[in-house]
Amino acid sequence: MATTSVSKKRMVRINGCVASAQAAKYADVDVIAAYPIRPYTATMMALAQMVANGELDAEYIVADSEHSQLSIAHGAASAGARVFTGSSGVGVQFAYELYSPISGSRMPVQMMIADRTLDPPGDFGSEHTDALSTRDMGWIMGWSCDAQEAFDNHLIAYRIGEDPRVLLPQMVCQDGFFVSHITGDVELPDAGQVKEFLPPYKHPYPLDPRHPVSHGPQIMPEQGPPLQLERARAMEESMAVIEQAHEEFEKIFGRKYDPWLEEFMTDDAEVVFFLQGAHAVTARFAIKHMRDKGLKVGMVRLRTIRPYPTDRVNEVLSKFKVVGVIETNMGLGSVSSGGSLYAEVCAALYESQKRPLILSFMAGMGGEAIVLKEFYWMTQKMVDAQKRGKIEKRTHWVGFEE
Amino acid sequence: MATIEVQRQILPILGSPNQGARFYNPELPSSEPFVPGHRTCAGCGPSIQYRMTSKAAGDNTILVGPTGCMYVANSSYLCTPYNVPWAHTQIGSAGSFTAGVAAAYEAMIRKGKWKGEFPNIICEAGDGSASDIGLASISGALYRNHDCLIICYDNEQYANTGIQASSRTPYGGMTTFSPPGPLVPEGKKLFPKDLARMMAAGHPHCYVATASVGYPIDLMNKVRKGLNHKGAAYLMVYTPCQKGFVYETPRSIDLGRLVVECGLYPMWEWNPEKRAYDYSFRPASMRPVSEYLKLQGRFGHLHAEHIASLQKFANEQWRMLGVQLPEALIQAADAKNLVNMASAAQAEAVAQTI
Amino acid sequence: MSTKGTRIPDWLTVPFAGITPAPSQEKGQDLFPTGNWRSIRPVYRDKLPPCNNACGTNEKIQGYLDLVKRGKYLDAYALIKEDMPFPSVTGRVCYHPCEQACNRGQYDEAISIRAVERFLGDLGQALTHDVVKAGKPNGKKVAVVGSGPAGHSAAYQLARLGYKVTILEKSPKAGGLNRGGIPDWVLPQDVLDREIERLVELGITIKTNCEVGKDVSWDELKKNYDACVLAVGLTEPNSVRAEGENKAGVLYGLPFLRDIGMGTSKVKLGPRVAVIGGGNTAIDCAREALRQGAVEVTMITVEANPKEMPAVPEDLHDMVEEGVDLMHGRAVTAVLGNGKVEALQLHPARFSGAINASPITVDKDAPAQRFAVDNVIIAVGQHASLAWLPAEFKNERGTIKIDRFGRLGDTKFFAAGDIVQLGSGQPLMVVNAVGDGKRVAFNLDKVLRGEALQPRTIPIDVIVDLNRMNMTYFPHFPRVQQTLLPPVSRRRTQDEVIQALTEEQAVEEASRCFSCGTCNACDNCYLVCPEPCIARPERSNGLYKILVDYCKGCRVCIEECPTGCLEGVPELDFDTGVVRMDTAFAISPGLHGRQAEELRKLGDRPAKNI
Repeated sequence: MATTSVSKKRMVRINGCVASAQAAKYADVDVIAAYPIRPYTATMMALAQMVANGELDAEYIVADSEHSQLSIAHGAASAGARVFTGSSGVGVQFAYELYSPISGSRMPVQMMIADRTLDPPGDFGSEHTDALSTRDMGWIMGWSCDAQEAFDNHLIAYRIGEDPRVLLPQMVCQDGFFVSHITGDVELPDAGQVKEFLPPYKHPYPLDPRHPVSHGPQIMPEQGPPLQLERARAMEESMAVIEQAHEEFEKIFGRKYDPWLEEFMTDDAEVVFFLQGAHAVTARFAIKHMRDKGLKVGMVRLRTIRPYPTDRVNEVLSKFKVVGVIETNMGLGSVSSGGSLYAEVCAALYESQKRPLILSFMAGMGGEAIVLKEFYWMTQKMVDAQKRGKIEKRTHWVGFEE
Repeated sequence: MATIEVQRQILPILGSPNQGARFYNPELPSSEPFVPGHRTCAGCGPSIQYRMTSKAAGDNTILVGPTGCMYVANSSYLCTPYNVPWAHTQIGSAGSFTAGVAAAYEAMIRKGKWKGEFPNIICEAGDGSASDIGLASISGALYRNHDCLIICYDNEQYANTGIQASSRTPYGGMTTFSPPGPLVPEGKKLFPKDLARMMAAGHPHCYVATASVGYPIDLMNKVRKGLNHKGAAYLMVYTPCQKGFVYETPRSIDLGRLVVECGLYPMWEWNPEKRAYDYSFRPASMRPVSEYLKLQGRFGHLHAEHIASLQKFANEQWRMLGVQLPEALIQAADAKNLVNMASAAQAEAVAQTI
Repeated sequence: MSTKGTRIPDWLTVPFAGITPAPSQEKGQDLFPTGNWRSIRPVYRDKLPPCNNACGTNEKIQGYLDLVKRGKYLDAYALIKEDMPFPSVTGRVCYHPCEQACNRGQYDEAISIRAVERFLGDLGQALTHDVVKAGKPNGKKVAVVGSGPAGHSAAYQLARLGYKVTILEKSPKAGGLNRGGIPDWVLPQDVLDREIERLVELGITIKTNCEVGKDVSWDELKKNYDACVLAVGLTEPNSVRAEGENKAGVLYGLPFLRDIGMGTSKVKLGPRVAVIGGGNTAIDCAREALRQGAVEVTMITVEANPKEMPAVPEDLHDMVEEGVDLMHGRAVTAVLGNGKVEALQLHPARFSGAINASPITVDKDAPAQRFAVDNVIIAVGQHASLAWLPAEFKNERGTIKIDRFGRLGDTKFFAAGDIVQLGSGQPLMVVNAVGDGKRVAFNLDKVLRGEALQPRTIPIDVIVDLNRMNMTYFPHFPRVQQTLLPPVSRRRTQDEVIQALTEEQAVEEASRCFSCGTCNACDNCYLVCPEPCIARPERSNGLYKILVDYCKGCRVCIEECPTGCLEGVPELDFDTGVVRMDTAFAISPGLHGRQAEELRKLGDRPAKNI
């Protein structure tokens, strides 16, 4: 079988894209739908080679578009196959039509996304807008911040999405370049561990001629709401499954993740950064640097944005005086006129008795790294707001203001 | 890698009903993958096609239905006419969803996750899906040669949205997007896309054929040939739409014959082994296009010159099939010999000279 | 949790993700009974094919042709035997009014029905045991007087009904007109013998050399039997009422043929023979004369040309081919010669009425023509010999007087065949006699069982209009021709002229049948229905079921029915308050829950066999 060549646990130094490909291989996927777009495409390149080498037995399909990629994934999952696909940037948008049908038909398709700025102009750098724009389509969605986490998240996401209580598609996101193309140490597990963690995919009602069913029929208006309610319930009920999956993962693989939020140096912090994805790595370094200077700054990293852990966000962020949201996405004309993460944070904190002040930082845009100087600048803005007791303005375009 | 060989079905070709003197349809399978109780219009051509296709395919079949009449009017939630697995997909996903299902079965059978013969995987796309929005996805599926059959049930328009022109709508066909008016007396000004030839030319390794509900056994056999062909196959089937064409419902099959006899729907097969067209199908007679047009309300506004244009178009189709044109059909392509549809009697007189 | 506390009411319980289980093949789905969209309903109504209607005994011709084309020969033979005791005979001798009526004649060429009948008859001849069995004995005895076509048919049907039947035949051999009126080269004796054997196998007693009025009296018949069928036929030849008709060398048609048939003929024909008459018997006589040694045979008819002759065209054609000359528009006014015929005196003549049974007008003023002959055979019809019959049952035509049920007054005597049909407007053909015998047998049965008698049923709807059928399904296809012996080799031999069809030919010819107005299980409606709401538990004629719950009334099936047996009937008047679209979108209460339950149980369902 496919995984014979990877049966023993070992450490490798690979980038995020390859880590994702390795995860797909360990998950023994049946159908892969590829279409080239940078930067995610390196994952598909790696998978193509694995299939060519005979390391993975899967149908590797070069689709004619991202729309087709997702349709192929939808069809294959409907037939009962475990499916892997992915995209970046405008590619994610091209497939947009399929996101709701896939979650609506409850097909646990997995999609790897290496973020890329949307056009215009052509930019390979990472912005989360591509994936975030689909956040309300019924997909389980979260960001990894390094290659190892990316690898792990893929396996965890399959386990969650294919759970009979959930049956929802998943977007496993990583920042383009910062994760996708930067190598890191990744522990590849023993095949037996994966087998223990991830049971074979079995949809209860696949397209099987022996048990014929119709998928996705037309409905009458009054029949729509119960279907939507059912999908909403599945999303909500997945939260318990997500927590359980992470516990199980820790037990088998020995790596512990909080499914919702990573807190870094928040114990006595007064101001914190709130962010997703790869900028957490630089943020950790910057926070240590600022801590040395005596600034009481910390970081809260959102690991899973859908389903959104509203209560956890409320509980955690209520401890602080100021929260600075690092957006890395575009929300043109949005609540903060900056990014869209701000609104998510505000909404979670609305019912808090001790609401912190909230700022939105347009930083790391276009795939730029957020440098130490900018972390200092942003921290200063938060400290100023804390002193003043109110914010000067909601959104700051970092690097473009004094 | 230890893999399981994929077993494929071979469906027998049905004997022709008109061999010699006999009219008696060959023995048809008893399974009914398509049952009544759906909300298609009375006399629905695509539905007739669905019935024949599913009958030819049998029970080990999976149907894919991109958005179109056969989704909207057929697959009602809590009640479905499909007695085999059926899945809706988006109108632009005809080829890709089907490819996904086919790929899944290849992998699952090979990997021992599903046991049995490879199922017939049939996509039933309307001409809107097949010739417009889903063209690329179908082309992709054909190019990649998934073992599936993609059928375009061609009713020459977007029907369930309320009769809009598609790139298969014939010249002169009235739709809500191509209404006739003083400045555009003919209604639709463009001639249809030659979809099936496009598929044959672009994917020569595929079995490609045109068919019509007017020739049921021929249609069913083409379905079976397409399914038996290892790899992708494409079938374009003429399926009249009572609502859009505006004709009396009993004529559904009759129109399916007339459109072929009038040269407006050439019937052929593309032989992927020989890389050649097979033009051997010949209708019982050749007729002027006016015989076909006069039965349909959507052509009621046509003037003599428009009918002549359509005749010219039909004559070109006949020539492509290598058919010698009778003088009367050449005459009928001259507007001087024709009158408006409103007084089609003289056109009929032309017809009788053939 | 925003969905906490939400409740989906039972009637909207959701199957997982809207996934809907497949309907059952038998029932379809039950949410949209689209039948109420319909204003016209298709129904099967078999019409009578013209061939069945034209046949003297109403053979189910379409029915057996349909069986033959599907290779079910034995079934076809059994079907033909319902109405026809001896298809091997009629398959050779019948003048096939069915073929004249055949709708295919209007399209290309009529079906060669007789040839197929012969194919089936020969098949039946070869069977060790016939498919037909005698009925359960009912203890009643019936006498049938005469073993010609009518008597044979009546005896056969009565035996099937359980009667103990005795046939009284005055000749030394049974067969009547079949034996005595039809030459061997049309109907070989052994074929007829085998059919007579079949009667004996049915338990029928045949008494030959037993003539009514001589060997058995009217009263004896009345006393010894519960009932009696008189099928004595027409035994006495008509005269041409010419001067000198009693001269030696003057022969009469039927006795001439009968003596040859019985093997008792002492006739030796001279080289020149004239045959008087233009009918089928005359033709048989002319052709027989050639075989009996005549060199020149001339047929002299009153009819002005061959088209007017009351004869089957192909027999006429064969006769001319064999070398018989025709002389039209002449009547014999005297037989000339000294004790023996030497010549005929002929005058121009024509029928005075429109039909050829009408009186003849002879132009005696015209110069007489002398026509030298050695023999003359007069074949201008026959009449009955009824001296033994009580006068009250005789009529002015010289035949037996019967009511419309074939019964003599209120006696238990019935009569059938030529003896009642002469002059009644019915053609005097074997097949008509068979039909008459059959109907009379059924009536006799009814009388003895005390049931009401029924006259012959009148067909309501004979389909003769090709527009009611769909001709697109029938390619033009030539009629299969039976092989004939070459004309030169036919003279001086009693070998059968017309050769049998091979099995392939019979199937091909039967396949040409349109099956007018009658369902032949072609499956077309079943295939073209868009719903599809035409169910077919098994493929069999007329066993198609239209599921009216779903039929939308598009009428494609009616339009595409090749045979015209489907038709549309208007539905109820919907103006009377019926809301037609109502149930089209009505969701029955509890349906969601039921469907959800079905989906949950899907895994428990046995897997569909594929």
